[in-house]
Amino acid sequence: MRNVLALLRRELNAYFASVLGYIVIMFFLVVMGVTFATVVGYLSTGPKQVTAMKIMFSMFWLPSLVVIPMITMRLLAEEKRAGTLEMLMTAPVTDFQVVFAKYLGAVVLYSLMWGLTGLYVVILRHFAGMSSALDLGPIASGYIGVLIIGQFLIAIGLLTSSLTKNQMAAALMSFAAVFILLIVMNWLSFLFQGGPVSKIVRMFSAFEHMEDFSRGILDVRPIVFYLSATAWALFTTTRIVESRKWR
Amino acid sequence: MQPMIQVDNLTKRYAGVTALNGVSFAVNRGEIVGFLGPNGAGKSTTMRILTGFIPASAGRVQVAGFDVFEDSLEVRRHIGYMPENNPLYVDMRVAEYLKFRAKIKGVPRGERRERLEEVVKQCGLDEVRHRVIGQLSKGFRQRVGLADALLAEPDLLILDEPTIGLDPVQIRQVRQLIKDLGKRHTILLSSHILPEVEMTCNRVIIINKGRILASDTPENLVKTLHAGGLIHVEVRGPAVEVAAKLRDVTGVASVEIGTGADEFVRVTVEPKAGSDPREEIFKTVMASGWTLRELVRQRTSLEDIFVQVMREEDEAEEERRESRRGLR
Repeated sequence: MRNVLALLRRELNAYFASVLGYIVIMFFLVVMGVTFATVVGYLSTGPKQVTAMKIMFSMFWLPSLVVIPMITMRLLAEEKRAGTLEMLMTAPVTDFQVVFAKYLGAVVLYSLMWGLTGLYVVILRHFAGMSSALDLGPIASGYIGVLIIGQFLIAIGLLTSSLTKNQMAAALMSFAAVFILLIVMNWLSFLFQGGPVSKIVRMFSAFEHMEDFSRGILDVRPIVFYLSATAWALFTTTRIVESRKWR
Repeated sequence: MQPMIQVDNLTKRYAGVTALNGVSFAVNRGEIVGFLGPNGAGKSTTMRILTGFIPASAGRVQVAGFDVFEDSLEVRRHIGYMPENNPLYVDMRVAEYLKFRAKIKGVPRGERRERLEEVVKQCGLDEVRHRVIGQLSKGFRQRVGLADALLAEPDLLILDEPTIGLDPVQIRQVRQLIKDLGKRHTILLSSHILPEVEMTCNRVIIINKGRILASDTPENLVKTLHAGGLIHVEVRGPAVEVAAKLRDVTGVASVEIGTGADEFVRVTVEPKAGSDPREEIFKTVMASGWTLRELVRQRTSLEDIFVQVMREEDEAEEERRESRRGLR
């Protein structure tokens, strides 16, 4: 545990020691800020059926497509390229501790970014006046959804980073993975409306899950699905890091 | 007492390539052992196996009594390792990096500050402790790597090419540092620079193409491989006569007349194995009434031995190939 904490601290430092951390956060805030302004503008035209934060949560895929590859591409690929993996793996820490700390570091950064959008809730609360218009329950579960889907995508991004020495290759692979997991799954559920295929696709569609989360529904099934998928991805990543030993 | 490193029949195969072929050696506590060999001889591979970074294909490796495969973490706690090219986190500051390394190496919280100060002092890093590693010169980076290796007060230091890429002044500094460290640690270092090993190590293991060719102290290697070094003599006298008289001296195998620039004759004498005819040569020259200006025994350096061992190995290989061809 002490090892994981020390490694985690190093990971967080690395984000902010380079410009990368700041660029990612800036990108995220610009995208979310523009979205928020548009949403507020749209809602101010008259009474609507949706709440501002529900729309914000439904837009989670947009920053994810860029943010996830950016915060995960470096993690293992760069260690392999620079040879620092050798320093790390010859210290008395296990391969899994290293992988897990890297995953945690990215999750912390991701949570931090989304945490900043809490400001929107404060703004809404201040200007909306009536507190009944701002139900905190669905907002809380929405954030849980964002976190639970995001940490899974991070684990997938980390997995792609373990496959190569090249950061750009890792970024492209993780972009492709996020694109398939989010956008393609959504298209599929759109294409096969009704019927058994649609049922299966909808079970795995992050858009569907997010829809539920942002309405205040905390279903155990998607949570178990994402957590076990994350566990699988972290396990596989550890095996890939170990694979230097089989060659 | 059990040796610090015990390697038995170590073999490492990469896809299609045999990097190490049945290597066995031992390093005792307190020794400074130099791994010597050309590039690609298997030095780094051996070190990576010792540190648990990669496993062996076959054979048994023990460090401080622990098996490298079964007790990898325990082995790593006993080793301070500086890999080839000394990879470091270039985005961190020196002190920050060392603190991080101390943590993951399990240096207890209460001792961390003290250890950090100690290695910073030992490696002369005080003036750069707040600098970003990426901006340091190669010499300072090397010292950061060494400081890192020393952090957890390991029993064994494994240094892969510790002076590569340094300028002569830095090389001298690092060598001195290694010598000082040898008083308290067991050290295994690798190099393809011979004088380096000759100067810092009290034992040399010569390795080539994944096999150990020789293992002994530098002095013994010199003794066994070049029993009698050549003797150079400079005498004022008639060349032919000088050569003839020297040839008759006991212990002399052969004599060769060189070119003298002045009235002095330069003669190179090859002594018989194990004998030292210098005194006899002196007496002979005196008795003949000639003047002796120089009488030197050429010191064989490790370099000569290295070249010779390599050549013998190549010849043996050639012979094996020949005989195989003959069988067919």
